[in-house]
Amino acid sequence: MAKWKPLERMDFLGKAYPRVEGPDKVSGRAKYTQDQAPAGMLYGAILTSPHAAAKIIRIDDSKVRQLSGVKAALTDVHPTGTVRYAGEEVAAVAATTPEILADALELFEVQYETLPFAVDIETAMKEGAPRVFADKANISDARVEEEGDLEAGFAKADVVVESEFRTQVQVHTPLEAHGSLAMWNGEELTIWDSTQAVHGVREGVANALEMPINKVRVICQHMGGGFGSKLQPGRYSAIAARLAKQAGAPVKLMLDRKTEFLGVGNRPNSIQKLKLGAGRDGRVTAFSAITYGTAGIGTNAGVRLPIVYDIPNYRHEHYDVFTNAGAARPFRAPGCPQAVFSMDQIMDEMAEKLGMDPLEFRLKNDANPARQQEWRIGAEKIGWAKRNPKPGSDPGPLKRGMGMAASIWWPGGRGTQAMITVYPDGMVEVRCGTQDLGTGTRTYVASVAAEELGLEMAQVRALIGDSDYPKSGASGGSTTAPSVAPAIKNTAEKTREALAEIAAKHFGVSPAQMEWQKSTITVKNSPAKKLGWKELCSLLDTEPLEVRGEWVEGLSSAGVAGCQFVEVAVDTLTGRIAVEKVVAVADCGLVLNRLTTESQINGGVIQGISYALFEDRLMDPHTGTMVNSDLENYKISGSIETPEIEVIIYDEWERGVIGVGEPPTIPTAGAIANAVYNATGVRLREIPMTPDRVLLALAKKS
Amino acid sequence: MFSPIRFLLNRREIEATEPPGMLVLDFLRRREMLMGTKEGCKEGDCGACAALVGELSGGEVRYTPVTSCLLPLGELAGKHLVTVEGLNMQRLSPVQDAIVSEGAAQCGFCTPGIVVSLTARLMEKGAALSAEDVKYALSGHLCRCTGYASLKRAGELVIRDAAQLGSSGSPSENIALMIAGGMLPEYFREIPERLRKIQFPSSANGRQKPEVFIAGGTDLYVQRGETLPDMRVEVLNLHPEMKGVFEEKGEIHAGALTTFEEFAAHPLVQQAIPEIRSYMHRNASWQIRNRATLGGNIVNASPIGDMTILLLVLDTSLTLKNGQKSRKLPLAGFYKGYKQLAKKPAEIVTEIVFPKPSRSARVNFEKVSKRKCLDIASVNSAIQITAGERVIQKVNLSLGGVAPIPLFLRRTCEFLAEKEITPETIVQAAAIAQQEISPISDVRGSAEYKRLLTRQLLFAHFAKLYPGYVIVRELLESGLIT
Ligand SMILES: Cc1cc2nc3c(=O)[nH]c(=O)nc-3n(C[C@H](O)[C@H](O)[C@H](O)COP(=O)(O)OP(=O)(O)OC[C@H]3O[C@@H](n4cnc5c(N)ncnc54)[C@H](O)[C@@H]3O)c2cc1C
Ligand code: FES
Ligand code: FES
Repeated sequence: MAKWKPLERMDFLGKAYPRVEGPDKVSGRAKYTQDQAPAGMLYGAILTSPHAAAKIIRIDDSKVRQLSGVKAALTDVHPTGTVRYAGEEVAAVAATTPEILADALELFEVQYETLPFAVDIETAMKEGAPRVFADKANISDARVEEEGDLEAGFAKADVVVESEFRTQVQVHTPLEAHGSLAMWNGEELTIWDSTQAVHGVREGVANALEMPINKVRVICQHMGGGFGSKLQPGRYSAIAARLAKQAGAPVKLMLDRKTEFLGVGNRPNSIQKLKLGAGRDGRVTAFSAITYGTAGIGTNAGVRLPIVYDIPNYRHEHYDVFTNAGAARPFRAPGCPQAVFSMDQIMDEMAEKLGMDPLEFRLKNDANPARQQEWRIGAEKIGWAKRNPKPGSDPGPLKRGMGMAASIWWPGGRGTQAMITVYPDGMVEVRCGTQDLGTGTRTYVASVAAEELGLEMAQVRALIGDSDYPKSGASGGSTTAPSVAPAIKNTAEKTREALAEIAAKHFGVSPAQMEWQKSTITVKNSPAKKLGWKELCSLLDTEPLEVRGEWVEGLSSAGVAGCQFVEVAVDTLTGRIAVEKVVAVADCGLVLNRLTTESQINGGVIQGISYALFEDRLMDPHTGTMVNSDLENYKISGSIETPEIEVIIYDEWERGVIGVGEPPTIPTAGAIANAVYNATGVRLREIPMTPDRVLLALAKKS
Repeated sequence: MFSPIRFLLNRREIEATEPPGMLVLDFLRRREMLMGTKEGCKEGDCGACAALVGELSGGEVRYTPVTSCLLPLGELAGKHLVTVEGLNMQRLSPVQDAIVSEGAAQCGFCTPGIVVSLTARLMEKGAALSAEDVKYALSGHLCRCTGYASLKRAGELVIRDAAQLGSSGSPSENIALMIAGGMLPEYFREIPERLRKIQFPSSANGRQKPEVFIAGGTDLYVQRGETLPDMRVEVLNLHPEMKGVFEEKGEIHAGALTTFEEFAAHPLVQQAIPEIRSYMHRNASWQIRNRATLGGNIVNASPIGDMTILLLVLDTSLTLKNGQKSRKLPLAGFYKGYKQLAKKPAEIVTEIVFPKPSRSARVNFEKVSKRKCLDIASVNSAIQITAGERVIQKVNLSLGGVAPIPLFLRRTCEFLAEKEITPETIVQAAAIAQQEISPISDVRGSAEYKRLLTRQLLFAHFAKLYPGYVIVRELLESGLIT
């Protein structure tokens, strides 16, 4: 099986170094999909439904087409003719300027037959609620997971705790909206897309337009964030392509912020009824959960319970609930932050009933050896021993408290292909059809190749973000690094083998006799027979060397453990929670780049804080649409909210590359809730923990 | 066609005949193809579109970062607009270099705007740049990727580089030092001279009667941005006589076009309202405060406008002008109902006047919002208390977000006059305040919460202004507050 060389012999991996495209980004030269503007380009837009549920009776675009400057219009973009959420695509138009486009959108005459709707989970679950899909009940069949004997488990418990928790719908909110530029050259289509999957979009668009896949090319050089919402092809890409075809000109179609909030994904909410049993000895004996969640008109609103703890007997029954809202999409660790928010709180509730320290209680019930270490490291760093022993005992008005919660993640690497080209002048290109979401993919494509070939990074050019390059999967589920890095290493190894053959031929020996030292190759035991990199590459004469490789076993692992500790200050006058410190212990395997890894962890934590304290998609039950579909009213964390974050990388490089993107956002909300309880003696079982909820809860208590 | 305006864009002098109400962001990205200035929200909330506007005043050019998505093109006449491209040099600037080396650009979409704002702060502060300044600069920027930690570290590197400038002086001295130190492109040296040569039109719109007045545009563009390019707009900022702060006969006069930043930076204002600068940290962002005007805040009539709520307790009056006619009106009498004003459409507010608070007066402002900065309040409140030894002479109290208008609590104020400052007095006052307010539930909080906050903020005011008499910890213990 393939292996990485020991960490201490590495030049780049395991260390911190700046990303290769950094200078392009700080100078504004990096071009995003939003920035594409080929000559003659038109602007495209989608008319979306103002109704949460309606039949489209008729769409008349004659006035649209009469407007000067309009070059294309589509009235058949909806696949079924029945819209199921406000914000769903109804028609589309392309025009020479955004101003004409705005006027054109007003000129569509659409006749709807409105239907009853249910936009929130409670309404949709009621008896006789309007059905989201005529042929399906709003509440899905139960999905049950169980292990052991639940009844026996609870019978053994000395203490039982029951609690109900709720989490909200969170919207991905990347800074660059979703969108595409579509350009035809005869029958060939090129799409620039703000995407997490150039190959996926290529397949999706080819399917949607029923065209051969080899006529579609998708490019994404830089993209302004995705967090899961850009994993799948959107309808807008094919729509842009159809508009471009009709108009005979390139069309750029970027969603506006409002449509971005309504229609391109979110994290489902949850209602969770939990029951936990434990013995006096502090061992959990049984756990049961009944959960509901809505993914809008989509599915997979699951809550990943029971999440990390070692529970011998459990049963989890889950129901997806349809609502008239945009479908969910994977969002950084799907199903996990919801689960940890409730699980780590009920664990704390149990510890209190048992009179045990929450840390001790976790150590007794967590079978993961890495996390056993991580809990202790984190507790030490935050100063767990110094916390208020009695919840709410801080006299205030700023009450401080500490809390903790766990993290976990599963997937590892999978198939990815790559190609390396070595030029006679010694320069190297690495091609891989992956994409960089800002996580640093481009940089480690270069550094892994440089590491393996013994070169400087400046000698290696990383070429990614193009479906013309060898296939790689979507960048999601923290699978990118464990998929791409091994493929690059494998390709580089093969490149070395090919070069060794050339050198062997040059010296008239067998390849087995060749020996590498960094980028210099020598015939074993004949130190005079030696070629430096440049000399070696010059043997290629005029023919660049092209070598292909792929993901192989042994260089990556699955399974991630982690935990976080937080300290909060709750202002009892206003109900505001300030997170003051976070200790994030993160399981990292072989760290490809310490700088980008730490940044991923910081970013995960702040998204967790944002989820815990601010973000909330609010639906108006009367109009059926989202109330806060803009950044003024849908708040995400700003820089002031950033606490001191201490990142502790728990690295075991021998495990190879593991994913680090999702785990750090999982525990934050749960840890904050536990800290708020420690600070105030009031437990908040619903997020976001807004000043409103906090103050009212404090008032209720006193 | 509109009468052309001339201005400097980065290194070039250009002429624009586009509508004066067009957004500078659109102008940059569509006409000039300068794509470093990004579009994130078009509402002033993300900072991806930040650009610098340099304005000649007293022989110097002063640069401020603003959100170009709320900036009317017509205002650029005779100014210097700088985008990230205009900061680029052969090598990376210290700000750019710091962001690269700390890994503070992930997806990088927010990055050019942040480069612009950090550079602006460096120009403003020179060698005195501090961690507080980095926060100041970042206040108008959202980043969904980095968690801001690396941005703050990058800020520390910039602070270290700034220290090498040696001394910190006026912004124009700092700029000269930065050019000498290779931190800013050479061409900045000639800008004052070049700006002096540009003809300034008196009004971009000729003599036609305007349909709408734009001051900072920070409310207007958010509320109806699409329509403004097609309208006859009057860019009020082309009337510099409506700017600035001065004192006359014991009264402080502020031009209606005075921005929040200019207001808070003025020594007269700082004397009158000692904590004014700390209130600014809670009010919008640096980039918005560089545009948002006092007049705009008052005329926009949001029941929760921060400056309006503050000015309400200062016995403020307004000067309104309609052609040659002019009249004065107390601010407290300006609001008739939700967004209904005692003002004719053609009238403009030219000046805001308030008496200097007396020596025995104390002023406090409180704001509660979900996010600490760049967020509209759930409830905000201001108070001015004049008191002798423990006994109140006069109180002015205002509350925002609890009624259809920015509310002056007349009855509560009357009750408090001549009372002794004790927790019991405040409890009684809070009960009266409850009768004066009529909050509704909305995205910023439930009515119940706003009622609770009303009581809490009243206590917070007294606790802050009279810490000897009202101690929050004791109140908490006695159960008087939550
Ligand atoms: C991102 C963001 C954050 C914000 N945060 C805050 C905040 O924290 N607190 C807060 O209070 N506000 C906030 N605001 C709102 C806004 O910035 C303020 O209300 C600001 O004072 C408006 O002033 P302006 O000059 O930009 O007004 P404009 O938008 O130019 O004008 C607003 C209205 O007033 C009229 N008008 C302006 N000046 C005059 C005049 N002199 N005479 C007659 N009519 C006039 C205009 O015609 C228009 O109807 C925020 C806005 C944004 C975009
Ligand atoms: S685009 Fe977001 S602030 Fe201007
Ligand atoms: S780096 Fe992606 S938004 Fe800041």
